[in-house]
Amino acid sequence: MKGMVRILLRFSEKIVEQPITSQIILELKVPINIITAHVNSKGGEVLAEVPEAAMDKVVKAFRKKGVTVSLPKLIEVDADKCISCGSCVALCPVEAITLSDDLSVVFNKEKCVGSTCSACVDACPARAIKSVKQNNSELTNSH
Amino acid sequence: MGEFKLKPQKNARTIEEINAKIRNGDAQVLTAEEMKKLVESSGVEVAFKEVDVVTTGTFGAMCSSGAIINLGHSDPPIKIEKALINDVPICHPGAAVDLYIGATAMSETQSFEYGGGHLIEDLVNGEEVELKATSYGTDCYPRTQLKTNLTKDDLNQFYLLNFRNCYQRYNCAVNSRDETIYTYMGKLLPRMRNATFSGAGELNPLMNDPDYETIGMGTRIFLGGAQGYVIGEGTQHEAQSLNGTLMVRGNAKKMNTEFLRGATFTRYGTTLYVGLGIPIPILNEDLAKKTAIRDEAIFTNVVDYGVPRRDRPKLAKVSYKELKSGAITVSDKKIKVSSLSSLKTARKIAGTLKSWIENGEFYLTAPVERLPLDSVFKPMKQTEATPFVGNVMQTAVTCKENEEVRAIAERIVTKSVNHIIVVDDLGRISGIVTSWDVTRAMAEGKKTLIDIMTRRVVTTKPDEPLETASKKMAQHNISALPVINDEKKVLGIVTSEDVSKLLGRR
Repeated sequence: MKGMVRILLRFSEKIVEQPITSQIILELKVPINIITAHVNSKGGEVLAEVPEAAMDKVVKAFRKKGVTVSLPKLIEVDADKCISCGSCVALCPVEAITLSDDLSVVFNKEKCVGSTCSACVDACPARAIKSVKQNNSELTNSH
Repeated sequence: MGEFKLKPQKNARTIEEINAKIRNGDAQVLTAEEMKKLVESSGVEVAFKEVDVVTTGTFGAMCSSGAIINLGHSDPPIKIEKALINDVPICHPGAAVDLYIGATAMSETQSFEYGGGHLIEDLVNGEEVELKATSYGTDCYPRTQLKTNLTKDDLNQFYLLNFRNCYQRYNCAVNSRDETIYTYMGKLLPRMRNATFSGAGELNPLMNDPDYETIGMGTRIFLGGAQGYVIGEGTQHEAQSLNGTLMVRGNAKKMNTEFLRGATFTRYGTTLYVGLGIPIPILNEDLAKKTAIRDEAIFTNVVDYGVPRRDRPKLAKVSYKELKSGAITVSDKKIKVSSLSSLKTARKIAGTLKSWIENGEFYLTAPVERLPLDSVFKPMKQTEATPFVGNVMQTAVTCKENEEVRAIAERIVTKSVNHIIVVDDLGRISGIVTSWDVTRAMAEGKKTLIDIMTRRVVTTKPDEPLETASKKMAQHNISALPVINDEKKVLGIVTSEDVSKLLGRR
């Protein structure tokens, strides 16, 4: 969504049972959109979207409660390597990869949930899809 | 097979006539897709009158591909025994310095990420590659070690020589297992959450000439961006089941990596994407009709690659129209489906071949021998029996969910087993308990089975090869697998002890 940034939240086994995200939403009165969540009793990894303007204070609040916050790795497609076979298309759970009318494979970065999914990466015969680390210095006071 | 004869037909056209038109620059050429539209709008008769040639194309992973290269002699000369190029093991099937680069041979250092397919692509691209060779040394070839760097220009011959290409059609693959599997049909998600297919359908060369009237030994074709030839039927060719294949050859020095690409199928291996296109001369009205074939008339089977057997279950029949739509339906379930071959490039190949012919750069040839119509793709003769789970499984000791841990402990002792399978009233599996679970329950004071049983059980079936079952146990670090049928009823149990006894004996 426009004006929103994605952050990756990691909850350790110790804190995974606490309702931290809800608390922060209530305390800061900031909308937080959960994109994907993989949580069990051993810990959790949540990809969330927060308003860009409120990112600093949201990150601080999560870190204060013991949550590890980072920028998610992004999926990037090397158009020179892509052979437009389409192997990745049906594997994408959010329809971020589609075939255009001329049968080219089209990647929509906005829709992609990033490396928390990565279903397409090891399915690419041309190895044109990579999971790429973002520069974490964009996040304030590193953890 | 012998002589090649066409039934004489009214209004027939000859290849010589078509070539004369190509020379004059007035041959009418359509791609297969354009031909289908013309036949639909104007009918077969008009299409036959107007069209001289229909071009086809396909661009897919074709593992039975490779390149033959000749290096010339070193001084002192060597009779190569073992060779690596860019660390990829190279086959040395002939005399001193003839080598065959197989597309699926994998690098000794980069494994799955670089193989024969990538090496061929690099050579075609003009890149320098490193050859390392060793030999035992002979009186005539005294050298035992060799290391040199080469490009394609240094090679005497560099020919793509593919022994099975251009499958007429191919399976659509799904996976019924509970885990993702990685196959030569790509990544298959558990419980049939995706499907993959290969082949260009209505654009496929052999599908547009299904009786092989014009495609045969000697047919000039588009191969990897250059002109090549069909040199016969491919291995496993079977016309009657619409599984025709081709053996082809072409000068790789003239090829183009847009139409020849190395590739990796994760946990399967490396391969080569080959671009292949064939012109079909419209010699008679019948051929005009045949080249009008549509995706909805081309069917293939949805095959369960989750079953690790030669004869995998066929779950449904689907058309290439459904496959290309992005979703198929198998027993009322909608499954997203992806192509493994590039339809975009297939289309481009048909278009490129069309322009070659229109520009007088490509002439048609008549085959000197037809492809066989009666050959059969036989399974392998096996002289040694392969053990399956059903051959070694034992009676399982079972219990019900409501039993107490104590009762289970007693059963473990009296039956002297380590695994007890939990079943429901119909004998269907609901979990498993091991002697270790019971010991721990005793130590922790847990009394009911529900507290200690494992619900997500890794299972096997009687017709699973023992080797696969054994791999499963190692992978999940467990020592036994309940054997169940399709209704999840428990038929027995197979333990790692049973497996090692049998496999160890061989």
